Amino acid sequence: MKNRSQYILFVVVVLLVQVLLLNNLTFSPYIAPLAYIVLIIMTPLGTSSLKMILIGTLLGLVMDITMGVVGINVIATLPVAYFRRPILHFFAAYTDMDGEGGVPTKLRISRFHNYVVAMVVIHSLIFFGFEHLTTANLDFIALRTAISTLVSVAVVYFFIGIFTAKLTQR
Amino acid sequence: MHKLIYFIKKIYIPFLFLAVEVMAIYYYSTSTPYSQSRLSGLSYYLCGWSGSLFTKLGNYLSLEQDNVALNERIAELESLLSNYQTLYPQTVQTELDLSPNMYVPAKVVSKTLNRSVNYFVVNKGIDDNVRIGMSVLSPEGYAVGYITNCSQSFSIAVSLLSTSFKVSARLSDDRSMGTVYWSGGDIHTLQMSDISKYAVFEEGETVEAIDFSEYFPSGTILGTVESKQMNDEQTMFSCTLRIAADLSRIDNVILVDNREVEQVRILKQEPVASPTSMEPENEDTTN
Repeated sequence: MKNRSQYILFVVVVLLVQVLLLNNLTFSPYIAPLAYIVLIIMTPLGTSSLKMILIGTLLGLVMDITMGVVGINVIATLPVAYFRRPILHFFAAYTDMDGEGGVPTKLRISRFHNYVVAMVVIHSLIFFGFEHLTTANLDFIALRTAISTLVSVAVVYFFIGIFTAKLTQR
Repeated sequence: MHKLIYFIKKIYIPFLFLAVEVMAIYYYSTSTPYSQSRLSGLSYYLCGWSGSLFTKLGNYLSLEQDNVALNERIAELESLLSNYQTLYPQTVQTELDLSPNMYVPAKVVSKTLNRSVNYFVVNKGIDDNVRIGMSVLSPEGYAVGYITNCSQSFSIAVSLLSTSFKVSARLSDDRSMGTVYWSGGDIHTLQMSDISKYAVFEEGETVEAIDFSEYFPSGTILGTVESKQMNDEQTMFSCTLRIAADLSRIDNVILVDNREVEQVRILKQEPVASPTSMEPENEDTTN
């Protein structure tokens, strides 16, 4: 129960930081971090595909509403959520053989960094690809995607650090 | 029944994922004019690219027949040219810029045959000197259609198989004129109406474009007479034509820019000068 309340608190904190802080970073057009994907990354490993679809859709919808856009966050978040298991298998060589489940951590996943970076990069590529939908100004789009992805990875690691530290303290 | 339930259980999650993703893409694409135009442009590009890919594959497989047909056509044209040069050595122009017609070979990227207005998409556009109004002929020189729209690299041509397309034509021997159009239905036949009741022609006679036709170079063959009938008032003939070009199999076309017809077309567009406007303008006599 305590674990669940920690999750809910984590979700609330991540969404608030994304909506109130990260969505309002206007000092550079190259920086648009999408750190809310950490909620998909840190979803327990044993979560079923159906639940992952629901979580991905819900998270995308919430972000669409708060960003004032239609559909683009669902478009980017849903594939990452649905294909999380193949991504884990392909990039982190992880197979949940015994259905152990639990929060994804370095202890459970040997190539945890590969998994995190792959999830953020795939999400960012889909998001910025659909945002621009053009090959004009490719330099700008590529640089914006690269910088935003790097910042997103940094913020995601910050959130993971807080969340997993809480877990280990407990 | 159990197998059906098992099948649905097995596929409903991927199906749900696809359904939600497609819905999100749909709502995103219709949310703003920018995303709408970008996504529709992207889908057109993908359709064009995939169509082009299949066409290229088909063209590659039919290269042998194409080469034979082209060689036959080249031989025929060279024979004609040598005949002309022998007969009129002083007047036959060999400079392409002075030729009344300009020819652009093109490949058909996609085509329709089952609509009331059918069209071809060809892989030549404004960058290749293609412009609206150019004639589209088959490699054998038969009428196929005319260009109605051009982008930088592609063009759309309305084919003879369009109910809105009417062209003036004449019987090659009798020289009686009529109107050729497609009434829908059979993709191998056209209708020709308004032929004088005094015209003398038989089944098998060729029908060709008139001089200064809006759509085709003079003498371009449209088809051959398959059957003829007199109208109820006994005033005009009408006939059914077998289309000369096989529009269902056409892969290569020749786009023809008839420069003389273009001059006539421009003249027709200009308003007729009134007697007062033809008077010379008052010149400034102060100098």
